[in-house]
Amino acid sequence: MEPNVEAVQPQFRSGISGAKPGGMGCVFGDIHGLIPGPPETDGTSFTALLELPPPQAVELLVKEDFPAKPMPPPIFPSNIALIDRASMFSVFASADNPPESTNILSASSSMKIDSVKQEPLESENQRNSSSPAVSNQSLKSIKRKEREKKVKESSKKSKKVGANEASDGSGEQLPYVHVRARRGQATDSHSLAERARREKINARMKLLQDLVPGCNKISGTAMVLDEIINHVQALQRQVEFLSMRLAAVNPRIDFNLDALLAVESESSIDNSYLGMFPPSIWPEGQINGSRQQQYQQPWLMDPPSMGRVDDTSNFITPENSLLSYDSPANSASLHSSQLKMEL
Amino acid sequence: MKARMQSSSSSSSSAAAAASAAAAALMVKQEFFEKWIKGLQIYSSFNKEMTVMERKRAIKLSADVAIAATRSATTRWSRAVVADVSTSAAGAARTAAEQILGRKLAERRALAATCSRRIVRRSRQRRGKAAGRGVVRSSAAIAKKLVRNRTRVLKRLVPGGMKLDEISLIKETLDYIASLQVQVDVMRHLAAAAERLDHQQISI
Repeated sequence: MEPNVEAVQPQFRSGISGAKPGGMGCVFGDIHGLIPGPPETDGTSFTALLELPPPQAVELLVKEDFPAKPMPPPIFPSNIALIDRASMFSVFASADNPPESTNILSASSSMKIDSVKQEPLESENQRNSSSPAVSNQSLKSIKRKEREKKVKESSKKSKKVGANEASDGSGEQLPYVHVRARRGQATDSHSLAERARREKINARMKLLQDLVPGCNKISGTAMVLDEIINHVQALQRQVEFLSMRLAAVNPRIDFNLDALLAVESESSIDNSYLGMFPPSIWPEGQINGSRQQQYQQPWLMDPPSMGRVDDTSNFITPENSLLSYDSPANSASLHSSQLKMEL
Repeated sequence: MKARMQSSSSSSSSAAAAASAAAAALMVKQEFFEKWIKGLQIYSSFNKEMTVMERKRAIKLSADVAIAATRSATTRWSRAVVADVSTSAAGAARTAAEQILGRKLAERRALAATCSRRIVRRSRQRRGKAAGRGVVRSSAAIAKKLVRNRTRVLKRLVPGGMKLDEISLIKETLDYIASLQVQVDVMRHLAAAAERLDHQQISI
């Protein structure tokens, strides 16, 4: 899930000192270099989307799949999961694609065998959509399709879905969700409601399983939750360690980004120029030295997550780096227009 | 996962989707990076000299606020992160957060909620005792207990998760994990670049 080293083509010219707020615009434009381009996925949308926060995933999937309708294309299960996840997040993140997302859901849900699972999800999307009529019709058409696929009991219950899902600002709520009881299952309202809720949870757990690496083979909610917890804890720990690393590596935290680019050119992340660091005198060199030895230990214990990119990094005591430079105005700097990104 | 995605019919569309997906991911990373650097610069404008611990705290706080700001308060965890910062904020931290977010933070007083937790815990324990223990129940019950315990842990991990129900909790976790991944990626690259620069300067 970690982005591999990218080959980004940078070119830059000099002249920016990051301390000036006016120059910040140019500098920020050059961030393109530092942050590597699209991670090396396996050529699949899925792993790409793993890097992707949901709102963008929504837009992408929407743009991708919308032209492919009216007949639902042969979507594979993973895509359906992605679309579900994307459409779910559209509820929270952006309510701006409601018609498309409901259409996508209707397309994907027709591929699914389980109709009941879809309907709560769809209802959730419809809550934020401004066209409940459209979505109701699509719901009905899906139900008709799925009636041919399996034998059901004829009982049909409707229940209220407003309570659980708190939307952010849209007051629109679909009052009823039509849930169909499956064959051989109890039909009283309690168990139906519980079953719908359970299936909602399971659908989302599946998305989580896809997001957390290594969860696909595990079955069972408890184990999957375990993995999820481990992953979240690991990420939070990494943030702590990384902030400690950054704190130790330079005396001033307002990164002057010019020098970074020069360094990056030789690194394995190659060609992501950004800027030059404020190579300034270490005022607290003595203090830093002793503390750095202490902090090396936790970092050295965190190699697996940080191993790949940082093969050249060493923890160097700052007393050695008593170089003082002038403000890097005369050093290499960059034009944002010159930076190219591999997309 | 890889086996599933190797079908040719989906590969072409997924390749296109991958490219645009990655571009959008890059946008988020850049947004986070910009906001983060902005916060750091505000910090350094406050005090020039900081100890390592202060720097680390500044870096972490700026990063957290920045990654929460990329969500622009649409998710509960981002709102909870910002609320935490506004509650436990000093002068420089507060200004940095406000600058990153672009809005004023409401003044809050830290609540003392510890005693209520003890009461709830004690009542729960008493209920467990009354129900009868020492008997291994059915596997389903054991599984339920495991799930319940782990859900509780997850609630503690995700910011603002304590008041969420299961369904929303899972949703928030999804978003939170994705954002954490972005944060870690950007921070790691910056740290690597900085260290390489350091190394280079020392070797000069």
